[in-house]
Amino acid sequence: MWTDDDSPLPPDSWGRASSARGALPWGFTLVIVLLVVGRFTLTPHLTAPALQTWSTIFVAICVQALPFLVFGVALSAAITAFVPASFWTRALPGNPAVAVPVAGVAGAVLPGCECASVPVASGLMARGVAPAAALAFLLASPAINPIVLVATAVAFPGQPLMVLARFGASLTVAVLVGWLWLRFGRSQWLRIPSHPHGDGRKWVRFGEAMRHDLLHAGGFLIVGGLAAATLNVAVPREWLTTIAEVPWLAILVMALLAVLLSICSEADAFVAASMTAFSPTAKLAFLVVGPMVDLKLIALQAGTFGGAFTARFVPLTFALAVLVSTLFGWLLL
Amino acid sequence: MNRVTQNLVLTLLGCAVLRISAFSTTYLNYVKPGFQPFLIGAGTALVILGVIGLFHAARTTKDTKGRPGENSNEHGRSDENVHGHPHGGPRVAWLLCLPVFAIFLIAPPALGSFAASRDDTPPPLDQPLSAFPPLADDGPVDMPIGEFIGRAWDDDRRSLTGREVRLTGFVVPAKKKGQWYVTRMQIACCAADAFPLKVAVRGLQAPPTDTWVEVTGTWIPQTFKKMPAGVVYPQLTGKGLARIEPPDEPYE
Repeated sequence: MWTDDDSPLPPDSWGRASSARGALPWGFTLVIVLLVVGRFTLTPHLTAPALQTWSTIFVAICVQALPFLVFGVALSAAITAFVPASFWTRALPGNPAVAVPVAGVAGAVLPGCECASVPVASGLMARGVAPAAALAFLLASPAINPIVLVATAVAFPGQPLMVLARFGASLTVAVLVGWLWLRFGRSQWLRIPSHPHGDGRKWVRFGEAMRHDLLHAGGFLIVGGLAAATLNVAVPREWLTTIAEVPWLAILVMALLAVLLSICSEADAFVAASMTAFSPTAKLAFLVVGPMVDLKLIALQAGTFGGAFTARFVPLTFALAVLVSTLFGWLLL
Repeated sequence: MNRVTQNLVLTLLGCAVLRISAFSTTYLNYVKPGFQPFLIGAGTALVILGVIGLFHAARTTKDTKGRPGENSNEHGRSDENVHGHPHGGPRVAWLLCLPVFAIFLIAPPALGSFAASRDDTPPPLDQPLSAFPPLADDGPVDMPIGEFIGRAWDDDRRSLTGREVRLTGFVVPAKKKGQWYVTRMQIACCAADAFPLKVAVRGLQAPPTDTWVEVTGTWIPQTFKKMPAGVVYPQLTGKGLARIEPPDEPYE
């Protein structure tokens, strides 16, 4: 899906954009026709209990996550549109070793979806923020911002320690990765893209940022919902229970699931809570790994910062996230 | 995905969310009742965003047609290319049509006996022990199935003894002969984390699977002192049975 982005050739639609834009939205028309025709021809046949259970769980995950997604995307769009870029360089301390934890904590205060955090972090780097600090922000902001923490508290009623453990473990991983990058990272690994920015009025930019993030994060949220609903219905519970009974295997499996499912951080707590067979520590690993390493983030990072960076950054983050969440789970949960 | 399509997809998704939250109680099949205002808010935001975007797209098209070559959106477009998407919108956004398809074509019902019979993990204890107030004196007591299970297993004062209670739930067949389960799914957050609360009913003919019923009966105190291994359900001697319409709020 991203392979064609780096192609040296401009897309063939360049130069005739106006005709493409004037064209009718054929794909959408097809969707509507399918909906109308399907309502009369397919609906009476779509009654298999397994299919209905699957679709109930799929729709439930989407419906539950959507308000959080919309709210999170609106806030991150507001920050993109209304907070001037120079604010960041003024707000962060000059010494990079100090800037890393400050940026990590800033990530906790400033809400942003993980899909938004990649462009925000590359924008910070392009404006002279130390890469290590920008990376700590990149990891921290989607994992431990207020919306995500509230969503976690809602998904785990009566378990405030889960929220605390998520916050602590995620912040620790973000700061550790930042420091390690500061110590061992090489600048040639990292491709810092230049950032042309759309001019135009703030509200127009707000709408654009929000629409862009919604389509992106929303699309990947559906991928996660599909995978989670399928796992929920198709995988026999005994398998999950068998895996869940071996503690280290459970943690590893949940961490890998977080990578594969690529659920938006605003919604992942609900999916984790639904995996009732797993131990709290395994769920914590899911919550810590998910916002930092997943398929859609790997793709976004490779597209933004280059392959050499991603090949080093992703395994490092994954290993640290699993270790730290195991430690926090053992201490707190 | 061009600009018009992006906004149409957002509008469509917003309409689907509003359809299940603002104009019906279907959302109760998926989430907790308290979630309704958030769903309405999110649906409205999506529709507003989509409609404004359509309005802009229409105006931009008109502008560009008037002055070819001078494209007010050139900046935004190159910006998107730097970020690593094909021009226009990401193709993954087409998936946003899937929940719309599911909502309108399958119209997913509340979880029923299929989900309840495959999920045989014992429900976690979520009520504090001995927090049960005494039961009211007269007639059969209406009671959530979760409360019945709690009182059956964990009430030191055995307040259920000899009392007639009325439970509401759907019918799930049991493997053992001579009994069936009156069942309610409990959700913590959304239907994805649902687990079944079951009470075994004895002495009554099993109605068809998935029928919603009100069962009146009395608790059969368990004879074992310690909980046996495996999954056990509290039992009830059924006296009366009434079929009812599925409730708006299907979960406990």
